[in-house]
Amino acid sequence: MSGCGLFLCSVAARFCRAPAAFTVIRRPLLTSPPSRAFAKELFLGKIRKKEAFPFPEVSRDELNEINQFLGPVEKFFTEEVDSRKIDQEGKIPDETLEKLKSLGLFGMQVPEEYGGLGLSNTMYARLAEVIGLDASIAVTLAAHQSIGLKGIILAGSKEQKARYLPRLASGEHVAAFCLTEPASGSDAASIRTRATLSADKSHYVLNGSKVWVTNGGLANVFTVFAKTEVVDSDGSVKDKITAFIVERDFGGVTNGKAEDKMGIRGSNTCEVHFENTRVPVENVLGEVGGGFKVAVNILNSGRFSMGSVVAGMLKKLIEMTAEYACTRKQFNRNLSEFGLIQEKFALMAQKAYVIESMAYLTAAMLDAPGFPDCSIEAAMVKVFSSEGAWTCVSEALQILGGLGYMRDYPYERLLRDSRILLIFEGTNEILRMYIALTGLQHAGRILTARVKELKRGNVTTIMETVGQRLRDSLGRTVDLGLTGKLGVVHPSLADGAHKLEENVYYFGRSVETLLLRFGKTIVEEQLVLKRVANVLINLYGMTAVLSRASRSIRLGLRAHDHEVLLANIFCSEAYHQNLFILSQLDKHSPENLDDMVKKVSQQILEKRAYICTHPLDRTS
Amino acid sequence: MSWAQAILLARGASRGWGGICSTALTGAPFSQVPPQAPRGLRCSAAAHNPDSSLVPHPPEPPRRPVKALAVHEELFRPALDGARNKANFVRAVQNFTEYNVHKRGHVDFIYLALRKMREYGVERDLSVYNLLLDIFPKEVFRPRNIFHSIFLHYPRQQECGIAVLEQMENHGVMPNKETEFLLLQIFGRKSYPMLKLVRMKLWFTRFKNINPFPVPRDLPQDPVDLASLALRHMEPDLSARVTTYQMPLLKDSPDAMDPTETHIVGIQSPEQQSALARHDPARPIFVEGPFSLWLRDKCVYYHILRADLLPPEEREVEEIPEEWNIYYPMQLDLAYGRSSWDDYEFNIDEVEEGPVFAICVAGAHDQATLAKWIQGLQETNPALARIPVVFRLSGSSGELLPSSSELEEPPPPPPEGQEEDDSQQRQQQGQS
Repeated sequence: MSGCGLFLCSVAARFCRAPAAFTVIRRPLLTSPPSRAFAKELFLGKIRKKEAFPFPEVSRDELNEINQFLGPVEKFFTEEVDSRKIDQEGKIPDETLEKLKSLGLFGMQVPEEYGGLGLSNTMYARLAEVIGLDASIAVTLAAHQSIGLKGIILAGSKEQKARYLPRLASGEHVAAFCLTEPASGSDAASIRTRATLSADKSHYVLNGSKVWVTNGGLANVFTVFAKTEVVDSDGSVKDKITAFIVERDFGGVTNGKAEDKMGIRGSNTCEVHFENTRVPVENVLGEVGGGFKVAVNILNSGRFSMGSVVAGMLKKLIEMTAEYACTRKQFNRNLSEFGLIQEKFALMAQKAYVIESMAYLTAAMLDAPGFPDCSIEAAMVKVFSSEGAWTCVSEALQILGGLGYMRDYPYERLLRDSRILLIFEGTNEILRMYIALTGLQHAGRILTARVKELKRGNVTTIMETVGQRLRDSLGRTVDLGLTGKLGVVHPSLADGAHKLEENVYYFGRSVETLLLRFGKTIVEEQLVLKRVANVLINLYGMTAVLSRASRSIRLGLRAHDHEVLLANIFCSEAYHQNLFILSQLDKHSPENLDDMVKKVSQQILEKRAYICTHPLDRTS
Repeated sequence: MSWAQAILLARGASRGWGGICSTALTGAPFSQVPPQAPRGLRCSAAAHNPDSSLVPHPPEPPRRPVKALAVHEELFRPALDGARNKANFVRAVQNFTEYNVHKRGHVDFIYLALRKMREYGVERDLSVYNLLLDIFPKEVFRPRNIFHSIFLHYPRQQECGIAVLEQMENHGVMPNKETEFLLLQIFGRKSYPMLKLVRMKLWFTRFKNINPFPVPRDLPQDPVDLASLALRHMEPDLSARVTTYQMPLLKDSPDAMDPTETHIVGIQSPEQQSALARHDPARPIFVEGPFSLWLRDKCVYYHILRADLLPPEEREVEEIPEEWNIYYPMQLDLAYGRSSWDDYEFNIDEVEEGPVFAICVAGAHDQATLAKWIQGLQETNPALARIPVVFRLSGSSGELLPSSSELEEPPPPPPEGQEEDDSQQRQQQGQS
């Protein structure tokens, strides 16, 4: 980092960094409930070891149970599901759906008392690995239970649960989630669908249309978000969003024809129109006017499962491409003997390993008692796994060469299917904003407290801050206690652990500097936020692989040396990436090209075209 | 001897003091000095005066022998009966070279031809300029030693060469290889016309695209097309829509003079439309104008529909609703803002102006015509019906064209004296 940056850091330091004791004292006073937030603490340059180390395990019984259940599902997916046919015909055959229902896959996370399987998040993730073998089915099931009926589980009343969940869990009814409108993507204020309370106050009349509703053509139960008039506490009437459970039988529910999509063609996506649909007041999900929170909760909780879906898909992909690379001969050598091909396998394995580790770590965090808020972690899993899937499938296609491009082989379908992962459930860009801003808000609250303390003129705080900055600038070795005598990381991974510690520490410093530099206007600095999110994702990935590989070594799992290799590769790569990104976050660093990038795009967008003259043009 | 040959060849043509120099330097008898030598000296002095324009006026025409000028005028005269086009211009030049084997008076002829170019409509034709340069006798005016190149060698001829290049410059004609080759043959590498050429080649390429808002070289003749071009030129928003509210009557029809039947073309962007819809009906909006916009040599008058700036206490502060973005927070709950380190706001006194809701170009500037525009706007802006519109028209445009009927006519070719103004104006408008 440049000298200027260092100076800036030291300026920043004057305002922050209270003694640790202070933070401990202050925290209970904060309004947010004490949450086990691993990622949020990273923003402060700290690692909460308890959350991520040791890598979570499931009990022997649970494992046996899920393995028993997994057998038939896996058999069904490998033998009976014809993904190619589903893709070509753009429809999942009825008998396949029936079989899925009979396997209980429509109610995986529905509590057992309502007829579901009542799987924990970890178990659900394990099952999703298998379901991910066919993207269309995975999306259909996810739309049904990750978002479609999730609202009823999260916010539904007892009566609503008893009324809807059993039939949804059995698959007799299919659920769909209706939020997006032609004019409203993530902008809740522009929702046009409206629900008006009838004169006798017994029901709402729902009008409007929703687009891109997955399962829109199959579903009988819809979670619909609509504007309603709500009288505020101060007596003014405001438009607020309310969530409703709408049955198709309420009348006035129609849907358009299924959209022709690029990938996941077997899933049903269409418009759904509501015309004077009468929704009883009992079917309001959560509170009237509280639909926004319901939507946010549903979306945040639905994301983590993408990690294991992608991991399952990648493992299968590695098998298929390895088979090809070891049999295809060129110049009397197998493809597998060429370095450039080998590299691709290492990449795929590394991505699969990291995604798997992150997914199961997150699932275990979600399973921990006390409803922990792991929405940042889940979003990170979603972003990392979707991008990993896209690069890996693209690399796999590269291994296969022309073959991968042919429709006779499944690879192009995988490529098409995996493209949607970057887009739905919140595009990766939006999720990066979410990750960065949520974490910065947390760090900012604590920083504000420190600023107050410093302004009060606490001598010890000031002295400590100055001393710390001095040590930083003289190049201190960071030790956050991951290794060493009481360390949680195995010594053979010490190198990676040190890198993680260093990254985390300086990430914390950067966050402080950024908050001091931009304050609340950091919301507008999207390029900065993207980098913050990227660093955080890398840090989380590093933590996950270190934790998992340490556990594997200690337990003596098969091929744990392979895991160590993968973990070390990833930690090194991520470490250097992080260093680069952190230097880009510095205001005057030569790596920071934001101004230029912004200028170029402004000029282009002003003309709405590529504005360079043709290379063959002349002035005379 | 070459110098002697040169003088002989140039005798009829040269009246400059190049002759003096060459003779003086080589020690030739003074009898060869032409009688007009003093005038030549004065001419060269004039050439160094930056205020004098070389293009239209040959230096000191009154003292010129009237006869010579008349002879050259004669060459262009037959063309007056026929069409004034390139072929006739070229014929005139050819006639000169054909009948005047010694090229006597070629400098005068070139000055005359330069003035005639606009009439013949060839002022942007590179080949014609090359043809003019080709009139100069070759090899004669080339400096032959270092003293020639130090002192202005054949100043009158060099000035004439520069005048040709200058006229090219004023019309944005880029010299080509042929021009360079001709100048090389005529004046040699170390001469002022050559210097001018090199500078033109350097700067023309750089200035050619310097205008970020280029105007097409040939403007449309149709007033409606010209109006929409002008409106597009002024409106930065590419989503803005040009609407023709009224087409002009045909020129032949007897009512063409009726100002109420002129064209009315307007432009409005979607943002302006929504701003107008949000406008408080209690506050009047104004139609102001006419303002002038120059597109090359044409002037277009436009009117704007605008409102006054709201007083600061009445402005609505755009607040971020609490539940807006489903995916991520739109604002952070922090007590502090941007530090001065990252505050890029410079201390600039900015004059804020009220919003402009639409622009129009009409053939007439009276209230009746503009009221039609407002009527037309109401179709797409229903809010306009409730807002009082005040016409704040400056009585006369105060510009060059006082009567509205003349606006329809293409401007007559400007008199020669105005050429200088034109070229300055062009420079202000920017070359494309």
